Amino acid sequence: MDVNVPDARPMPDTGALPAAAWRGRQHGWTLLLLAVAFGAVPAAIAATGSSYLAQIAITAMIFVILSASLNHVTGTAGLLSIGHAAFYGIGAYAAALLSTKLGLPFIVTLPAAGLIAALFGLLVALPTMRLVSIYFAVATLGIGEMIYVILLNWVDLTRGPMGIRGIPPVELFGWQADTLLSRYLVVAAIAVASLWVLHRLTHSYYGNALRALREDDQCADSMGVDVVRLKIESFVVATFFAGIAGALLAHTSAYIAPDNFRFMESILILAMVVVGGLGSLPGAVVGALFMIVLPEALRGIGDYRMIAVGVTMFLSILLLPKGMLTEGVALGFVRRAFARGWANVAGGKPVGWK
Amino acid sequence: MVFDIFFLQQVINGLSIGCVYALMAIGFTLIFGVLNVVNFAHGEVYTVGAFVGLMVITAFAPPLLAVVPLVLAAGALAGVGLERIAFRPFRRFNDEASQKSRAMREATLLSSLAVSIVTREVMMHLFGGDMQGIPAGYLLQRPVAIGPVMVASGSLVIFATSAVMLGALQFLLYRTQTGLGIRAVSNNQLGARYVGIDTDRTIVTTFAVGSMLGATAGILVGLYDGAISPHMGFAPGVKAFVAMVMGGLSSIPGAVACALLLGVSESIATEFLSSGWKDLITYSLLVVTLVFFPQGLFGHGRERA
Repeated sequence: MDVNVPDARPMPDTGALPAAAWRGRQHGWTLLLLAVAFGAVPAAIAATGSSYLAQIAITAMIFVILSASLNHVTGTAGLLSIGHAAFYGIGAYAAALLSTKLGLPFIVTLPAAGLIAALFGLLVALPTMRLVSIYFAVATLGIGEMIYVILLNWVDLTRGPMGIRGIPPVELFGWQADTLLSRYLVVAAIAVASLWVLHRLTHSYYGNALRALREDDQCADSMGVDVVRLKIESFVVATFFAGIAGALLAHTSAYIAPDNFRFMESILILAMVVVGGLGSLPGAVVGALFMIVLPEALRGIGDYRMIAVGVTMFLSILLLPKGMLTEGVALGFVRRAFARGWANVAGGKPVGWK
Repeated sequence: MVFDIFFLQQVINGLSIGCVYALMAIGFTLIFGVLNVVNFAHGEVYTVGAFVGLMVITAFAPPLLAVVPLVLAAGALAGVGLERIAFRPFRRFNDEASQKSRAMREATLLSSLAVSIVTREVMMHLFGGDMQGIPAGYLLQRPVAIGPVMVASGSLVIFATSAVMLGALQFLLYRTQTGLGIRAVSNNQLGARYVGIDTDRTIVTTFAVGSMLGATAGILVGLYDGAISPHMGFAPGVKAFVAMVMGGLSSIPGAVACALLLGVSESIATEFLSSGWKDLITYSLLVVTLVFFPQGLFGHGRERA
C-alpha cells in the first residue's frame, strides 16, 4: 500500500549554515549599532568640534564595555558582583604602569591589562566560587575595597592618591590618536568588538548554560553542567573586559587616580546593568548610555544633578523593575533571527530555541 | 610588649570603635533578618543621626543627655521614612517565590542605594561637603585615667551607651510582644503572617529600632571625633556590613562579636602598619572568614537562597 509520504526534502547541510539566509535579519541591529557608533557620533563630534561631547562619548563607550561585562557575570550567570570597578582599576593601573614605566606600546598594554585583570579575576574567583548569593556579593565588595586600599597606599608603585599622570595616548603602528575624535574611534571599535564577543558568548548554548546555572545551579549541576567551571569562566571573562575598559580609560584620559575605582563606581556599573535590564546585553548598552548621558544632560540644573541621578535610578527601578530592554525582549530578537535562519535550513523546523 | 600601656590603650580604643560598628551592625542584622535584603542606606541613617545631633546642639544648646532622645526620635523617623520610600514599594508581592527572588532583592538593594545617594547629596547641599565642627562644650575627649591607662571620656560614654542599648534590645526582642513578632517574621515571614502577625507593622518597627541604633552611633562618633561630614557614613556602614556578614547574617551576638573583633584588630593594626592600611585588615578578615567559614562565624546556615 502506498503510504502518503510528504515530498522528500533534501537533507539540510548542517555542516555550514547558508550565511546569507539569516545574517541579513540578524545583522539589522548590528548595522544600526555600527552606524551610530561609527557614523552618527563621530559626525556629531566633528560637526560641533566640541571636546566636551567627545569626552562624554569616550566615557560612554568605556562604560558600555564595563556594563556589558558585568552583565555577563551578574545578569547572565547570576553572580552578583559589587566590586567590578576594582578590576577596571587593575586594568587601568596595569596599562598605565606598563606604558609609563616600561614604555610598552598600546597594542601590548591593552591585551596585557585585560589579561592581568583576568588573572586577578581568576585568583578572586577560585576561593569565592562556593559562596552563594549575598555572601558572594559581599566577598566581591571586600575584595574591591582591598584593591582600592592597595592602589591608594602602595605609594612606591601606584603613587597613591596622587595618581599616575602622563600616560601616553593611544598609538597604533606609528599612528597617533592625538585628536579626541580618533581616540573616540579607537575606543568605539574596541567597545564594539567586546560587545560582539560577549554577544556570541551569551547568545549561544554556552550562554544558555550560564542562564541555567543562574536560575538553579543545583538543577543545572544535575543536568551535567559544570557549574563551578562556568562560574569561574564567566567571572574571568567579565574581569578581562573590565581590564580592557580600564586600559582604555588610562590611555584616553592620560591620568588615573584610585578614586576612579571606588565602591560607588561599582555601584554605578551595577545600576547601569539593572536599569538596562539584568541579563540583556542590549539592555546593558542602553543602561550605560542612559546613566552616562543623563547626568551630562542634567548639567544645566547644576549642583542638583546627582540628586536627579539618584531619583532617576530609584524611579527606573520602581517603574521598570525588569529594566528598559528586558531580557525576554532581548532574547526575542536573537531567537527570531536564529530560528528563521535555521528554519530555512532544517525544513521548517526550528532548531535550538523553540 | 603585650602589657605595654599603649597597647592596652589601643585595645580600649578599638573596643569603642567596635561598639560603634556593633550598633550599626545590629541595625543591618535586624533588617536583613526580617526582609532578607541588605539595606545600603544604613550609613546615611548614621550621618543623619550625627547631623540631627549637631543641629539640636547648635539650635538649643541643651544638656548632652537631652540630645539623645531627639537623636533617637530622628533615627526612628529616618528608619520609618526609609522603609516607606525604598522598601515598601518593592514588597508588592508576598508569596514565597517573589520574597526569595533574586530580581526583587537586587531591586531593593539598588533602591536603598539610590535613596542613600539622594540623602547624601541633599545633606551636602544643606550642610556643605566639608567637615563640620562640634561645639567644644559637647566634645567627649576629656582624658580619664583608669589605673595607668588614659582613656578618652568618649570611649567610656560609647561603652555605656552601647551596653544600655544592647540590653534594651535584648529586652525588646526576648521579653515583649513586639520582639516576639520581629523574631517570628525574621524566622519565617509567611508563617508569621499566617499566625496573624501584622508583618508590615513589624517590618516598620524593625526599621525604626535598627535606625535608632544607627543614628545613636552617628552622634556618638560625632561627639568623640569632634567633626562630622555628609560622607562620614560610608566607612562605618561598610564595616558594619562586613561585621554582619562575618557574624553570619542573622545572628545578633555574632554581629556584635565580629564588630568588636574588627574594631580591635583595626586599632591594633595601626600600631604595626600605617593607618592607611588598616582597612585592608578588615577586608582580609572578611575574605578569610568567607573562604573558610562560608556561612559566617556564628551563622547557623540560613536557608540557601
